[in-house]
Amino acid sequence: MMTEADYYALFEAYAHGELAGPARANFEARLAADPALALRFADFTEMTGTLRAYGQRQATRQQLRGMHAAMLAAEEPAAPATTEEPAGLTHTVNPMLRISRTERRLRQFWSGHRATVGVAASVAVLAVFSTLLGLDLWRTFNTKPSLYGYTVLRREVERIKKSQKDLTISLNQFGRSSSGAAAPKESTISGTGFALTSEGYLVTSYHVIQGADSLLIEGRDKQRYHAETVYSDVKHDLAILRITDKKFTGFGRLPYAIKAGQADLGERVFTLGYPREDVVYGEGALSARSGFEGDTAFYQVSIPVNPGNSGGPLLDERGNLIGVVSGRQNDAQSAAFATKSSYLVRLVDSLDAAKSGVPYHLPRFGQLAGAGRPKQVAKLQDYVFVVKVFE
Amino acid sequence: MSRGNSTSSSLTPTDDALIAAIRNGDERALSHLYRLHWPMVSHFVLQNSGSEDDAQDVYQEGVVVFYEKVRDGSLELSCQIKTYLYAVCRRLWLKRLTSKSRFGVRLLDDEEHGPYLNTGAEEDLLAAEEQDRRFSTMSEALNHLGEPCRSLLEGFYLLDKSMQDLTIEFGYTNADNAKNQKYKCLVRLKKLFFAHYKEEPI
Repeated sequence: MMTEADYYALFEAYAHGELAGPARANFEARLAADPALALRFADFTEMTGTLRAYGQRQATRQQLRGMHAAMLAAEEPAAPATTEEPAGLTHTVNPMLRISRTERRLRQFWSGHRATVGVAASVAVLAVFSTLLGLDLWRTFNTKPSLYGYTVLRREVERIKKSQKDLTISLNQFGRSSSGAAAPKESTISGTGFALTSEGYLVTSYHVIQGADSLLIEGRDKQRYHAETVYSDVKHDLAILRITDKKFTGFGRLPYAIKAGQADLGERVFTLGYPREDVVYGEGALSARSGFEGDTAFYQVSIPVNPGNSGGPLLDERGNLIGVVSGRQNDAQSAAFATKSSYLVRLVDSLDAAKSGVPYHLPRFGQLAGAGRPKQVAKLQDYVFVVKVFE
Repeated sequence: MSRGNSTSSSLTPTDDALIAAIRNGDERALSHLYRLHWPMVSHFVLQNSGSEDDAQDVYQEGVVVFYEKVRDGSLELSCQIKTYLYAVCRRLWLKRLTSKSRFGVRLLDDEEHGPYLNTGAEEDLLAAEEQDRRFSTMSEALNHLGEPCRSLLEGFYLLDKSMQDLTIEFGYTNADNAKNQKYKCLVRLKKLFFAHYKEEPI
């Protein structure tokens, strides 16, 4: 009885063609007759074939690895050489092969993770912006309306206009810079002011003269005076000016009295001011005895006011001065604010007590009571001025 | 080697000449082919979120498929070698990517490599996969075989050593002893190999 191993010896001898003629014929006849033997032979052939192919495959792999290494090794010194004769290249050269090792890693990382990186970046951006927006919303819902709603009413001449003019002036002066006479500067801000005493003191709003370099007072008759700031009260938005011109002799008797007490709710009030080049009259009622955000130093009045009205006098029906127009609320319908005259009186008294310079003689009695409104205004308008501010 | 390089890179043989040379076992021809198409495949793999090593693996696998078909004489090329290699490597890389990724994979193709669909690469790859499976079973069977059978069989079949060398190497008294030992080893290998190989579904 042949063992399996014996069969294998036979098979191998047959496959190698080592069997002699008769033995070979005998074996082939047995293969044809005996299916079990044929199967055994087929298995043997398949196994040895696989073994050999496996060996070949490993050899091929080894060979290719060697080729790859050789190719890489040849590439390193060849890299500079290829730039000299690019015409010799027969195929498109991958530019990635010529970048540095770190950059290659970076590129690999990028190409492998760019989707993730993109998602992460967009999430981060979204998070940041939604946080910022959310915080902002939260803050606006949680805080009281702030000064954003408040507008001071000084008139600002557009900056563009100014810079344009400056340009023109400097162009005109170019080449004759030593001519001496400088062109008059345009004022950038204007407001309204009115006479406080007949000696030449005036009142306006502090924010009008804020940051002023020099002040010019201009009346209805286009008479101009230079003025200086005597005192300013930031908290109540008041400023007291004095005319410094030598030729100025005084206003004469003022037609209105300054009320030291409080005015009543519902009183008809009116104002004069210079929101334009011409004097403008506005009237309304005293609608509240406190100002913006409940500030008790101010009245709320229902007079339509515009930038330039600041510092204008607020008078009641009998022609008594009861306030100084200061500002308005943006998000409310015709809500203007005016500093109460009692604060003005108190301020003047304290200045008087300090005994500095010319004494103040506040007008005690008005002359407007009982007169019709046009008559009142006609008398009044000589004492209301444009305050021009040069910064 | 350097002389071989210069000759093979200075004249660019046509595809037919290359295939003929490779079939005749010309290592320089294979090396030339390898260098020629490496940039294309490496670029493709790098573009599709692979690394340099991935590219090398895929490319070598592809070249092995091509090479074995050429050596068999069973290669029926209906297109350029370049296109065939591209199609094979593309298919291989796609398979790897899909097995790695949870999501669907879309590949960025280089347009210049034209239609890669009717290259016969699909069928060749199926055959190659079957072959790979056979090889891995064989490798496993060899691993389970134990010494000295494994070294003996590897020496004879894989490394192509002669029976005389192996007799000396393993210390057998004569070549017949060694042969008998080899046959016994083959019997054991057969059991291991077919036990694993046949029971696995295709």
